[in-house]
Amino acid sequence: MKYLFVILSLLLLLIAPFFGQIEISLSQINNISSIDHKLFWDLRMPRVVVAFFTGALLGLSGLIFQSLFRNPMSTPFTLGVASGATLGTAFAIVFGFISFVAVFGFIGALMTIVILFALTSKLKGYDTSSLLLVGIALSFFYSAALMILFYLSDETQSYEIIRFTMGSLDVVGLNHAMPVVVASILLLFITLKYKYEIKLLLTSYDNAFLKGIEVQKTNTILLISVSIGIGIAVSITGPIGFVGLIIPHILKTIYKRSADRLLIQTFFYSGIFLVFCDLIARKLGTTSDIPIGVITSFLGGPFFIYLLVGRKRA
Amino acid sequence: MLQVKEFSNAILSNINFNLQNDENLIILGSNGAGKSTLAKVLCGIIDSDCVELYGKNANELNAKQRAKLINYIPPKLEIFDEYISFKEYLNLSKLYSDFSVDEVVSLLDLDELKDKTCKKLSSGEQQLMMLASSILHNAKLTIFDEPTANLDPKKTLKVYNILKGERIKNRIIITHDLSLAYKLGYKIIYMKDGKIEFFDDNKKFFQTSNLDKYFGNSLKRIDDYFMVNL
Repeated sequence: MKYLFVILSLLLLLIAPFFGQIEISLSQINNISSIDHKLFWDLRMPRVVVAFFTGALLGLSGLIFQSLFRNPMSTPFTLGVASGATLGTAFAIVFGFISFVAVFGFIGALMTIVILFALTSKLKGYDTSSLLLVGIALSFFYSAALMILFYLSDETQSYEIIRFTMGSLDVVGLNHAMPVVVASILLLFITLKYKYEIKLLLTSYDNAFLKGIEVQKTNTILLISVSIGIGIAVSITGPIGFVGLIIPHILKTIYKRSADRLLIQTFFYSGIFLVFCDLIARKLGTTSDIPIGVITSFLGGPFFIYLLVGRKRA
Repeated sequence: MLQVKEFSNAILSNINFNLQNDENLIILGSNGAGKSTLAKVLCGIIDSDCVELYGKNANELNAKQRAKLINYIPPKLEIFDEYISFKEYLNLSKLYSDFSVDEVVSLLDLDELKDKTCKKLSSGEQQLMMLASSILHNAKLTIFDEPTANLDPKKTLKVYNILKGERIKNRIIITHDLSLAYKLGYKIIYMKDGKIEFFDDNKKFFQTSNLDKYFGNSLKRIDDYFMVNL
């Protein structure tokens, strides 16, 4: 059964670039002078690559946040990191730093994490529900700030901001996909390197401490890595919610394993999930594509609830 | 090997004591007297500058060095993840022991628990798992917080035999079981309201005058056994 899923997923990755408004013929993609070649290598391929690695990054980040903050609801999105990135990006759009959009998004994410960290030390350790509340409060604050930016912006700028907040996987050329690819693979390596520490942290913080883990340092390294990754992803694709929340949960219910043994699975299937959602977005869209965030929530939400209810019954 | 100098916090006040090399210790005291808090100070979970372990200030040790010197087994297993299994937990605990996980598991007769998840174990089984983990960790000094609290008589005997045996190096045992404390014969600390009321040899503690002073008529002695006077 599990092998079947892997094979289906790989097939999905293979056929994904061929979906879209304009059909691409397989025989033409190696013909440099054809439109098909340009379409395939400059638009479709990068899009699938961005979808896969962004999904992977979001899913893995969610898994790490849920494990470290001890709360199934904590993801970079629920804690306000993504809203921070969004605000940073909107700031760049309105105040004319268009070419530094990514940098500003990144600063927004990092700023949020710094605030969260400062507060966690004030809140004595990792009081997770207060932290979640802080995240929600931050998100509201950021939305308000975003509204002010709307108020200050002209028509094209507001359209750009709206488009950005909906999330989009449009990229031109593989070069623009590279930051997400590198960030997600680096994050995977870092989490795999800290696998043992993560597992000990999953028992209890006290136990991890007694077994000789530098708890504070490990947490800091992991959370900063996640935040940097999220900052990069959001600055390229805009905030895409829900992947980080549901995919780790779905995999845990299916595999029945602790998080440290689901790192690669989460990475892979979160990527596949976003590619799949993007396929639907492109297939349904007539004149313009449906925002990807709409699809992830639309598909993921009901399935997630179905799984939760099903598990409680069993 | 272990020294505490003038430690005070919200619960404990003016804690001072000194254990020589290879002395073991028993900590007694009523509920809420601060026994577990003291244990957490000793092992570093509660940060302090007053603990000296084997000649070094515990604060100056790095995480690994400290893990080699001291370990603490809490009264109840605390575990966040619902899927970590018995076997996985013990694998995580194997640090400085020459015993393999399987050897310790069969020593404690726990083979049938191997594939169960920690959350699904009974409290007694969890307690035995933590005892197994302390053998595998093999720190120089291990603090056991009420190691026999949830156990049936057979398992209590088994734990007693392990506790006095060679597999654990130095040990501090927090308990309410006075018979166990008497049999083990270690030095005794008796705590009350966050203070050390008594710190001396086992024999001295179990003199009738002391027992009357600390337990009043709630205790009945029958030969070498101490029972609640129901």
